[in-house]
Amino acid sequence: MTHHPGPAEVDASVDEAGEPGVKPPGSSGFLASWRARLRFLLAVLASRPLFAVGYIIVFAVILLAIFAPWIAPYHPEKANPTDYLQAPSWRHLLGTDQTGMDIFSRIIYAPRIDLTIAIGGTAISAIVGSLIGAVVGYYQEMGGARSVAAGFIMRTADVLQAFPVFVFAIALVAIFGQSLQSIIAAIAFVNAPIYLRLMRSQVLSIRNMRYIEAAYVSGANDMNIMLRHVIPNSMAPILSQLSVNIGWSVLLTAALSFVGAGVEAPIPEWGSMIAMGFGNIITGQWWPSVFPGIALGVTVFGFALVGASVEVLADPARRRALAGTLREKKRPNAPSKQPAEAA
Amino acid sequence: MTDNLKKGWTPDRRTVLKTGAAMAGAAAVGGAMKATLAEAASPPGTMVIAAPATPQSLDCEFDVSLGTFEAIAACYDCVVEFEKIPDAGVPTARREDINDYPNKPGRVNLVGKLAESWEIDPDSQWIRFKLREGVMSNWGNELTADDVVWTWHRKLALGAIGGFYASVLSYTRPEMVRKESKYVVSFNLDNPNPLLMKLQPNLYNPIFDSTKCAEAGGSEDPWAKEFLKNNTAGFGPYEIAKLVRGNQAVYKARDDYYGGKPAIDTVIFKEVPTTAARAQLLEGGAVDIAQHLQPLELVKLAKVPGVTVDTIPATFMLWIELNAKMKPFDNIDVRRAMNFAFPQEQVISTVFQNLAEPLTACMPDIYAGYNKSYWEYGKQDLAQAKELLKGAGYPDGFETTLAYDASSGSQETSAILYQSALREIGVKLKLKKIPAATFYSNVSERKQPMIFYLDSPWCPDAGYSMNLYFHSKSFINYSNYENARVDELIDAASKTGDMDARLEMMDEVQKHVMREAPWVFVAKTNFSLAHRADLKGWTYYTSNNMRFQDFHR
Repeated sequence: MTHHPGPAEVDASVDEAGEPGVKPPGSSGFLASWRARLRFLLAVLASRPLFAVGYIIVFAVILLAIFAPWIAPYHPEKANPTDYLQAPSWRHLLGTDQTGMDIFSRIIYAPRIDLTIAIGGTAISAIVGSLIGAVVGYYQEMGGARSVAAGFIMRTADVLQAFPVFVFAIALVAIFGQSLQSIIAAIAFVNAPIYLRLMRSQVLSIRNMRYIEAAYVSGANDMNIMLRHVIPNSMAPILSQLSVNIGWSVLLTAALSFVGAGVEAPIPEWGSMIAMGFGNIITGQWWPSVFPGIALGVTVFGFALVGASVEVLADPARRRALAGTLREKKRPNAPSKQPAEAA
Repeated sequence: MTDNLKKGWTPDRRTVLKTGAAMAGAAAVGGAMKATLAEAASPPGTMVIAAPATPQSLDCEFDVSLGTFEAIAACYDCVVEFEKIPDAGVPTARREDINDYPNKPGRVNLVGKLAESWEIDPDSQWIRFKLREGVMSNWGNELTADDVVWTWHRKLALGAIGGFYASVLSYTRPEMVRKESKYVVSFNLDNPNPLLMKLQPNLYNPIFDSTKCAEAGGSEDPWAKEFLKNNTAGFGPYEIAKLVRGNQAVYKARDDYYGGKPAIDTVIFKEVPTTAARAQLLEGGAVDIAQHLQPLELVKLAKVPGVTVDTIPATFMLWIELNAKMKPFDNIDVRRAMNFAFPQEQVISTVFQNLAEPLTACMPDIYAGYNKSYWEYGKQDLAQAKELLKGAGYPDGFETTLAYDASSGSQETSAILYQSALREIGVKLKLKKIPAATFYSNVSERKQPMIFYLDSPWCPDAGYSMNLYFHSKSFINYSNYENARVDELIDAASKTGDMDARLEMMDEVQKHVMREAPWVFVAKTNFSLAHRADLKGWTYYTSNNMRFQDFHR
């Protein structure tokens, strides 16, 4: 009987049969597996420079968020009226806004807010949406009351997704009040249906796999099967969606702040900085809006690139193809290596 | 060309020079076109205005929105108006003469509009107006005493904005305003009231065409509320030809206006919500006037050829209400500390670009009775502020919220500057941005501990100003300020025609108010008008709006 692995044995390697998640013969140990994955990732980034750019951008933004107090030359919320609307100079690298606050310092501090909101909101939506989607996908075709409930949940998700996302987010913030928590909740709420659908569609196909059937036959209950087998094996599209969603959530946060429904002034946040400086563009002071806009655009771009790379790496077929390409590039004339080295 | 691109085409020197010349030519033509546009004007008899909003309602009984002010000023007249005099600082502008004239009736310098003459009781307990004969409304009905009576009876009956004026005059019974003959109407109060004449030229005391209103409203709507919401029925120089709310209003000058047809025949009043867009339209020559611009935009436009920016001391006052019914602002020393901490000079120079003056009193400085000697807060003094807080029991400061209008860039910037200053004395100020649509209701609900407010008392009278903002029973007393002595003085002043005694009483009111600081005093903002240079005749009114009939080219 062919052994079907449980979730503990899933890794990035690919077996000779091409089944995902099967530990290849001869591989050894958790660390070796992670080292191999890291090598593979670095090889992929070397061969795909655009992906590397994405990772560098995201890494840089995270570093800024962590080390902002040590990097920023000025306090991000301290107004200095004598320095208002100064053009970029050595004293203020990116200039100052109408209250004299240093734009460079505020741009550096902004990821603390934007990433907190984006990651927090996306994580909540991914967890909640995935769990609900897993349950819906698992029970949908079983018939009876559970199937009806699953159908009801899907129709509710349809209704939620029918609303324009931005308008919906503004309405939620208006209801819950303007605070960091309510913006996170709004982002989580508008994104949850996406993960719900992704997980549901994955679960609908995975629940018919033989190893699920085997687990059921061996006496595992539904909850056990879902948590140990179904959900872990359905995570690939969720993971790839996460990065894209984080970038999109940063954009949504900025958009909410731009229209006045986001974070309060003068908390440094790219969208609110663009809004505060918007009126000055016509009077010739372009820097209060343009630099935060560039920072926002680059960040969202970075997350999108990371998401694109995760989409490739999380898909076993595409990962296999990529591994093959890398092998051919590295040693075009050598015999093919053991599958473990391609991971 | 396609083949070249495919081959990785590299331009030669001739191509670069030709392309460069073409681009330079295009830029020059573009610049010339822009200059042409900047100097282009509307046709001589037309004036295009970029405004924040079109009129919401045309009924001055219920609406105080920006667009409505111009509509009322254009389509209606009052019985009298203030004489116009040149402005001392802006030679091309005029302003209402609101000086005190002890030797004139009612001590005001008025000229007749719908009224050709009047008699007034020396104590201001009654007035008798003789109306002009042959004055026609935009509906073709002649002005008679019935129209004046109907207008004032309507104020009493509906009890909204007009009801406020009625209460200020102590006009409590309809028969106090009565028709003496076809063209003679009288106001007869129970007690002397010094505002009886001063309120007549108020923008929101115009006279309606009662014949048309009665016909339009019928028995179901005797005060023509529905009709006047969307139509005008007045004796003013313009009528509304077209109103598309959210888009534009078009006004046409009346050929049969008793004062002579205005020089500007057609006024197109366009709604352009953002200040940047309004400024750009003026700069580009697409409009003749851009209303309500930001200070930096005004400074920039002043340098544009073909554009003039006139700025004139006005009645506007910007302040922060300190809610005296909410801790810690129930403590006078805390309120005083908040004033000492406010960076007033910095706000005037950076936020308002010196197009404003520090607000150093609780009434406009252009009104008789203004006394700045009670201003004690001077330059920002954080040490004094901290000392006051310590004495008030807040040695480590406190936490509070300041609400501001989301549509006002100057309020947000001022709030941020204030927040930074207060941080130094331990006061943690949270800023709360409120959408413009709900801002006024937030002000009037009096639930915020601190909230910005911009207003101006239209009637040029110290007693009127004090009553409006500081009488404990006043609806506009948004800071919940209460002082029994202040109430007593205001009440006494409203019942005497002795101007000198009134000014003395109002002086004492100012002393109490400035000492107890129910406001953080921010700025007196100028009224600034950015317009095409060829447009002349602008006149400043204490109601802070313009009147199309003043302009000419």
